Amino acid sequence: MAEKYKRDDVVAARVITLCDGPGCMHKGSKELLSALKDGFREKGLSYRDVKVNLSGCLGMCARGPVMIVNPGYTIYGNVGKADLEEILEEHIIKGKPVARLVIEENHLYNKFFRVFGDVGFFGKQMRIALRNCGIIDPESIDDYLALRGYEALARVLSSMSPEEVVEEVKRSGLRGRGGAGFPTGLKWDFTRKAAGEKKYVICNADEGDPGAFMDRSAIEGDPHTVLEGIIIGGYAVGASRGIIYIRAEYPLAIRRLEKAIKDAREHGIIGENILGSDFSFDVEIKLGAGAFVCGEETALIHSIEGSRGMPRPRPPFPSVSGLFGEPTLINNVETWANIPVIIMDGADWFSSVGTEKSKGTKVFAVAGKVRNTGLVEVPMGTTLREIIFDIGGGIPEDKKFKAVQTGGPSGGCLPEEYLDTPIDYESLARAGSIMGSGGMIVIDEDSCMVGIARFFLEFTQNESCGKCTPCREGTKRMLEILTRITEGRGMEGDIEKLERLGKTIKKASLCGLGQSAPNPVLSTIKNFREEYEEHIKEKKCRSGECRNLLEYYITEDCVGCTACKKVCPAGAVTGSPRERHAIDIEKCIKCGQCLAACKFNAVKTA
Amino acid sequence: MVKPIDNIKKKRAEAVNRIIGKGYLSTKRVYVGMATCEIAAGSKEIMQIFEEAVRKGLTDVYLSQKGCAGRCNLEPTVEVIEEGKIPVKYGKVDPERAREIIERHLKKGEIIEEWVIK
Repeated sequence: MAEKYKRDDVVAARVITLCDGPGCMHKGSKELLSALKDGFREKGLSYRDVKVNLSGCLGMCARGPVMIVNPGYTIYGNVGKADLEEILEEHIIKGKPVARLVIEENHLYNKFFRVFGDVGFFGKQMRIALRNCGIIDPESIDDYLALRGYEALARVLSSMSPEEVVEEVKRSGLRGRGGAGFPTGLKWDFTRKAAGEKKYVICNADEGDPGAFMDRSAIEGDPHTVLEGIIIGGYAVGASRGIIYIRAEYPLAIRRLEKAIKDAREHGIIGENILGSDFSFDVEIKLGAGAFVCGEETALIHSIEGSRGMPRPRPPFPSVSGLFGEPTLINNVETWANIPVIIMDGADWFSSVGTEKSKGTKVFAVAGKVRNTGLVEVPMGTTLREIIFDIGGGIPEDKKFKAVQTGGPSGGCLPEEYLDTPIDYESLARAGSIMGSGGMIVIDEDSCMVGIARFFLEFTQNESCGKCTPCREGTKRMLEILTRITEGRGMEGDIEKLERLGKTIKKASLCGLGQSAPNPVLSTIKNFREEYEEHIKEKKCRSGECRNLLEYYITEDCVGCTACKKVCPAGAVTGSPRERHAIDIEKCIKCGQCLAACKFNAVKTA
Repeated sequence: MVKPIDNIKKKRAEAVNRIIGKGYLSTKRVYVGMATCEIAAGSKEIMQIFEEAVRKGLTDVYLSQKGCAGRCNLEPTVEVIEEGKIPVKYGKVDPERAREIIERHLKKGEIIEEWVIK
């Protein structure tokens, strides 16, 4: 699998990884394995010098049997018994790849490079959390089992103590993928050590950022991975019940989760004495009504308990006192999906991917003004430029890039000079945005930054639960100011007011929703202050998005056909037939009907 | 007592057998994207067209669904993995394209280059 490529580098210099997926097995990978044993004997090689691995489907079934040989991560296809001899002699002993068998491609530890046939999009990606998404039938537990599904769980139950599991997650350097980036292993450790009669594990699938669909896709594409992570988490912290909190507006994801839970139960993977061990664990689904604030962990817990979804001050943290007052481990969908890989391939391998403080990969939902909108998973440390221009294919119609918004309504807008920021929790925070759960919206020159800020603030203002004053009242006032700026009624001092309000709301709000709500506004003021000033002082919107700030006028191209005059509902157009018309700015309501009606392209805006 | 790890290996072998029993080793495997986004783009109808083709006697084809691979702007997607050929993924598959794929690719083995996601 994808994860094999790099890990072996750490372990041994010479490695043979033989694909053992159903396709290759059919084409003789089993016979190849026994031939390999014979070859080793003949050539006097030992397994201590040359590591031999079996891997799950590498996705190159058409060229099977496939093997990957290190040094060089050379990929060989259509390997027959006779070829094996040559590979051992030339590559393993003499270190020279056998050119005629090589499947050539810039693979970048990516198992998809052939399966998907679209290398530009997948070449820079690395899929850990989404490793099976788009590969297997998500409604078939057989498909998952065939790709070594639930083997991480079985390994944990067979040979690891809960402490060892916690230690492995700690060493992996995995951090919460919901946005805040708290070290996952520490959270597990706190929950494990907390005293409580009963402990709970929760999967936070309450994805609410506008335009974000990472969790939905992960669950819809591979629900068993999430389940496996949750069960392992339950074992590690000593819980016997897991709850998946998912919003009701994800019906397909819910259906697939229900099926996954049912199938897993039938296979003895959920329930009493899992896989014949003495560990018992059950998982159930709780539906959320779609309130954004319920993504906040304490609000989510209240919602499960049947109370109103409102946050409470922390501490105590849920790891000490969570659901029904018991120690509760709560992680995001993507975090859970990483767990089986960490167990299967080890913390050493996992922490070899990414940057110093942010390990592994991150899934992003790339949307907005970008050619390839979609879901991408990249190693931490990939730059924004690589995601938007290499994977995303750049801006449509070759328009100019203006900004990228990360982290949804809690994040910020970064202009062009930040494009080479490597993606990790710290770098994005330094640049003035956040990692967030993975929303990424690309903005081109046609969009108004004040309008974008207003859009996100309108969202958070709507979703504010109303418990604490700074968030409830503050976002409302900020929205009013932003609205009047976009409508051309901005006043001197509005920018300063927004900044002061924003800073206060950030400091004084109870939960993450309020603490981060001003971010889109503050970051656009910081990076695009001149646009705010134009709106306020010159009553001008350079993108033309703020309709109220447009001024309509008629050029010399007018032939006097009277079409505009007829459609104008305000009677603002004057002029006689066959003479150039004019628009009375005082009367104009900026509805744009004259522009739509003109066949001579003579109505313009400024 | 059987160890969980042996237990899961046995389950894996059984699962592989069941998958193969369903025709996984056919020369062509066809995967239709069936995530919410793909369904919204019309993939249910595409799936039905392929299912109908199989019902009406299209042989040596293993038909399955899959989750989202991330190519939102090109959905619905249909992936064809054919033995001995580079796997391809077709984008923006409408009913007309689906029928063409069945006729030209699945029946005659011709890859329809212009619809392949590059």
